Amino acid sequence: MTQLVWNGLFVGSFYALVALGYSMVYGIIKLLNFAHGDLYMLGAFTGFAILGAAGGVSSSAALPVLLAVLLATMVITGLAGVVLERVAYRPLRGAPRLSLLITAVGASFALEYGMRVVAGADPRVYPVRLGGTTLEVFGARLTVQQLTLVAVAVVLMAGLNLLVTRTREGRAMRAIALDPRTSALMGIDVNAVISRTFFLGSALAGAAGVMAGAYYGKIDFLMGFLIGLKAFTAAVIGGIGNIPGTMLGGLLLGLLESFGTFWLGGEWRDVFAFGVLILFLTVRPTGLLGERVTERV
Amino acid sequence: MRATPLKSLASLTLAVLVLAGCSQGLLGDGGTGDQSSAPAQGPIVLGMLIPQSGSEAAIGPYMSNAAQLAIDEINAKGGVLGRKLELKTADDACDPQSASAAANKLVTEGVHISVGGYCSGATLPTLPIFGRANIPMIIPAANSQELVDQKLKHVFLINGTGSQQAAAAQKWVDKQGAKSVALMHDNTSYSKDIAVRSQDLLGDKAVIVEAVTPKESDYSANITNVLAKKPDFVYWTGYFQEGGLIARQLRQAGYKGSIMVADGAVSPKLAEIAGDEAAEGVYATMTQTPETLQGAENWIAAYKQKYNADPGPYSNQSYDAVRLAAEAITKAGGTDGAKVIAALEAVDGFPMFSGPLKFTPEHTLANGGFQILVVKDGAFTLQDPLA
Repeated sequence: MTQLVWNGLFVGSFYALVALGYSMVYGIIKLLNFAHGDLYMLGAFTGFAILGAAGGVSSSAALPVLLAVLLATMVITGLAGVVLERVAYRPLRGAPRLSLLITAVGASFALEYGMRVVAGADPRVYPVRLGGTTLEVFGARLTVQQLTLVAVAVVLMAGLNLLVTRTREGRAMRAIALDPRTSALMGIDVNAVISRTFFLGSALAGAAGVMAGAYYGKIDFLMGFLIGLKAFTAAVIGGIGNIPGTMLGGLLLGLLESFGTFWLGGEWRDVFAFGVLILFLTVRPTGLLGERVTERV
Repeated sequence: MRATPLKSLASLTLAVLVLAGCSQGLLGDGGTGDQSSAPAQGPIVLGMLIPQSGSEAAIGPYMSNAAQLAIDEINAKGGVLGRKLELKTADDACDPQSASAAANKLVTEGVHISVGGYCSGATLPTLPIFGRANIPMIIPAANSQELVDQKLKHVFLINGTGSQQAAAAQKWVDKQGAKSVALMHDNTSYSKDIAVRSQDLLGDKAVIVEAVTPKESDYSANITNVLAKKPDFVYWTGYFQEGGLIARQLRQAGYKGSIMVADGAVSPKLAEIAGDEAAEGVYATMTQTPETLQGAENWIAAYKQKYNADPGPYSNQSYDAVRLAAEAITKAGGTDGAKVIAALEAVDGFPMFSGPLKFTPEHTLANGGFQILVVKDGAFTLQDPLA
């Protein structure tokens, strides 16, 4: 039982990290950024490229090196997110939401198959692998590396939450989420704040990408598709636009999948997890922590 | 009012499209008709559906390169019936919808025979498309039983079938003395076929059949399920990307028993993804690969020289498919579908990498030729020919 919980929480923390970017962007400009999962993929490949450029890494120094790569990747994917917003979404700011949605799908394909042109269709394998000393905690097997990854995810999410709730920047974001036009009248540079939101969300997705690459080892150009959908689901379950809700949604989806597999078998897992999603949408369309009228970021 | 000109424009475009489609189809038919009666003109076109994008994109070049190699060799010797061979590839993306579209494209481009098909799930919907156009299919890799269950006259499989593979798996399980076997598949036609057939053969020994969602990274939930049944043998019947991850995660979860994978997972990448430690000792049920072929050094050298890369899974089968197509067209004296099918059915003792070929009444190989490979130092090597 504890093993199931741990499996769920571990996978869920990845979902949560990716879902945050979805949620933030939706909160501010009501855009479902379907290319978000591909920024996760971009992060995994960026980390791969940096590690490749750095040459061989001894396994004793693996963790600090990976953390450095993680930070570098976050900056790069963050900037990629800013460019994506500038090129693909900003010109459509006033357009109907459907156009934005289609553009997002297009951007997603462009990133996927662009990466295929650059890196090839073959899956790549990370040169540094987080193997693991196994610990037994309450009957569940977990590794130090898993704990480290979850800790990194928690730190990143806590940092984001502080930024949004306690800083001027965060206040500007929340203001735009409430009313972009009035915010502009109040002297907030709306475009700049939206750019920075994309930077933050994309950086988190990139971080998740590097962590997945280092832990699971295999990366490929389509790896962002499924997790993008899962992250979207997590965001909806938790309350899209709401940061703590999104984190909760990610963890909950991980747990749902873990227990769904256990109770009903592998082929029913997604039926179970997405069935819950549909239930949520009918019973509580705003999600767990979403409120009907809320400050969304 | 504004809708009217738009509407008429739309219907006009539609009409033009339909006309274009018709004329192409008519021309195509006329072309083949001419060829079977009058002296043959132009090249003989071989169509090949392979994954060039999507999750199995890595396999595509192994197959098309080998097919092209065979074509170049045949053309260098003067072609078939005085006509050159030409290869047209199309991307099926290992996806049924893309495969149907690609098959239709090949048909309108006037291919005379199909020598492609890797993913069974993607190959299945293309059978009636080629069938309606009277195009014989020699399928080099896809091998789900569903492909032959329909008893279609124009479909020939030169890879062992799912039931033959399952039989090989059962043989090896018995030889290893395994008591409880966990079967894991990815719910695709090919993968589920082998898993279910193995389950039937293994009877009580099969303790669990676990389906996983392909293209994910984390299979810990499935693995927890599997290990709860305490198996001493795990058989993964899907493709190599998930296979590598599953082997690794099984070991991380403390599993000590044997792991075996089916032929879709036989790729050098599997060991790379799993990591050397987890991959070591992983078994596989597989037909001939370039590495296990006896006396294929010259062929491998020729492939390497042409493409500056090693041949991979299904290179040899694709090469053989082209050679077999050429043989059948020669025997049939043309590209007429019915005659080529009759020629293929009459083939007896045609030399292939998998041995002399003679089709069974179901158009499959009499002997699947499955053998057991094992990963040694990161590469699949022959463990037991199961002869």
